Amino acid sequence: MAGIRLRGVSKRFAGSVTAVHATDLDFPGGALTALLGPSGCGKTTLLRMLAGLETPSHGSILLGETDITDRPAHLRRFGMVFQSFALFPHLSVAENIAYALAVAGTGKAERRQRADALLDLVQLSGYGDRRIGALSGGQRQRVAIARALAQSPEVFLLDEPMSALDAKLREEMQVELRLLQQRLGITTIVVTHDQREAMTMADRIVVMSQGRVEQSGPPDEIYHKPANAFVADFIGRANFFDGLVGEGGVHVPGKDGESVALSVEPAPAFMSGAPVTLAIRPERACLDEPQGSASRLAARVTFLRDVGSTRDIHLDTAIGPIIVEYAAGEALRPYTVGEQVALFLPASAIHVFAQGVRKDAA
Amino acid sequence: MTIAENATGGSTARGASLPDARTGGLLALGLLIALVCVVPFGLVLVISLGNKIEGAGWEWGLSLSNYSRFFFGIGWPETVSTLYAQKLFYSLYFAVIASLLAVLVAFPFTYLLTRLSRRSQAAWLILLLSSVSLSEVFVVMGWDVLLSNRSGLPMVFRETGITAWLKGNGGLEVLREWGLASPRNIRFKTSAFATILTMVYLVFPYAVILLYPALSRIDPAMMEAARTMGARPLTVIRTVVLPAVRIPVTGAVLLLFVFLLGSYVAITVFAAPAQQTLTISIYESIRGQTINAPFGAAQAVVLLVTAALFLGASSLIAKRSGL
Repeated sequence: MAGIRLRGVSKRFAGSVTAVHATDLDFPGGALTALLGPSGCGKTTLLRMLAGLETPSHGSILLGETDITDRPAHLRRFGMVFQSFALFPHLSVAENIAYALAVAGTGKAERRQRADALLDLVQLSGYGDRRIGALSGGQRQRVAIARALAQSPEVFLLDEPMSALDAKLREEMQVELRLLQQRLGITTIVVTHDQREAMTMADRIVVMSQGRVEQSGPPDEIYHKPANAFVADFIGRANFFDGLVGEGGVHVPGKDGESVALSVEPAPAFMSGAPVTLAIRPERACLDEPQGSASRLAARVTFLRDVGSTRDIHLDTAIGPIIVEYAAGEALRPYTVGEQVALFLPASAIHVFAQGVRKDAA
Repeated sequence: MTIAENATGGSTARGASLPDARTGGLLALGLLIALVCVVPFGLVLVISLGNKIEGAGWEWGLSLSNYSRFFFGIGWPETVSTLYAQKLFYSLYFAVIASLLAVLVAFPFTYLLTRLSRRSQAAWLILLLSSVSLSEVFVVMGWDVLLSNRSGLPMVFRETGITAWLKGNGGLEVLREWGLASPRNIRFKTSAFATILTMVYLVFPYAVILLYPALSRIDPAMMEAARTMGARPLTVIRTVVLPAVRIPVTGAVLLLFVFLLGSYVAITVFAAPAQQTLTISIYESIRGQTINAPFGAAQAVVLLVTAALFLGASSLIAKRSGL
């Protein structure tokens, strides 16, 4: 399977809105890449440029070694699943699936055979003669996937494919789509704004914001080594503090006017006095003294939130509010609101970023 | 148990008052419809069975002579004349061709219109809607000037030498065969071409307004999906857009057809005397020189029944083909 490469691709719409700034990206062949970001970050525009539905203002798109920048959508023939599924209501399920074959002039018997094979693939055997209007949301999505795969495309594109499904079905379909993609080994690019969806399905995640790529890499790298505060905030949850690099770590101004020094490992790669943003995941902060070096803070419990699988403990500290998360089953003594506790922030768990724009902390 | 009883009790209590009001309203509405629709038509139907009295109007009657005159001529059964059947034919001929053409032209226009920005769409629609406010008389007058033999386009053709050029290469002969030229110049009055052109112009805005909602409701993603599956732009229109709007398109053709059956001004100005339609002769019979209200009424009934037959047949065909 050929991969796709973007070289300096940008898109500027009339009315001088730059949807995508000059972007270099590699989508490895046979892998599933998720384009992840908040709405309006340019991820859908990027996908549409890949499909040939938008023309890049600058730059080139390469499929393997071939430049396909100026190749129109109907000649690229990348299978695409749309957010609304865009199924044809005047055609039956089988006719929808075989549409690409009908356009290409394939015979009726072969079309039907292929449609039936694809219906088997998406576990809808026997649904070929139904009308689209008689299908549920999940079934429609399967038909849309089968239809996009009918022409055996080199690249499979999906634009927010789960957004029309309810939460439970969404998780099932994420796993199913991932298994299908692995079975077919097809180069796949999924646009999503849901970080759990991206982490469930993707080999690689490209995090985008305001038309730029913030970070790209494997899901665990994105989660555990976020490149900047935006990524740390958008992927999962994080507690944020602003501070200045100084002697023995980062000095975070406290509420009482005295700054608190937090030790950070490895030592921040910033000049002394540089303003930085710190992030720590709620599950990495702890209430028992951990192994390795950690900063100790006095804290007061302000709120307890038990959602079954996890327990959040909201704390008030000298440097501001912090949330600590424990998984259910982790040994933890009961706490009460108002109780004074000791909070430990392990030095290796604190991410240090240059101060910049980030989404408001969750 | 108590809940069930309460529910039944409630519904009977409501049932006593509400249906009464509804029945009363329906009855009043039915009476109104009967008054403004059925009564005039009934009157026309009854008059059509009456007899003309020479020089003194008409009297009630129960004869079918007006209908036999319509289909076989006044001298029937000795002689047969199909004069009025021909007029009926031309009524249908002009209405069918003009309504089909109007929708044929309006379809690509409206399709492209829905691709424009919201603002330009609104501007175009306002322009079209305001042109609807022009009366038929005014529109026909405009085309009358534009197509008149002395001062309109034929004059322009003659003065610019196009006529002479056409004479030289035999083009004028071809146009003469089509009824669009005299031996000396191009001539639009009178011609079926000018009649149909004006009729199409008259109903074009209606055609756009009838097609616009359906075309603008099509999900653009459906067309894009077709493109990603290898469909060229024209294939997209044929396989995605047209099937999605076939019901509104059929509806538009039928509505314009019925509307155009009643054209009057365009026919009187542009149609050749041999191609005059029923609307003209109905008017002649009722207000013109040969006053004969019963015969005019019979013609009106025939026209109405024909329109109804056309609508019935097309809805039957639509049902058969699974629309």
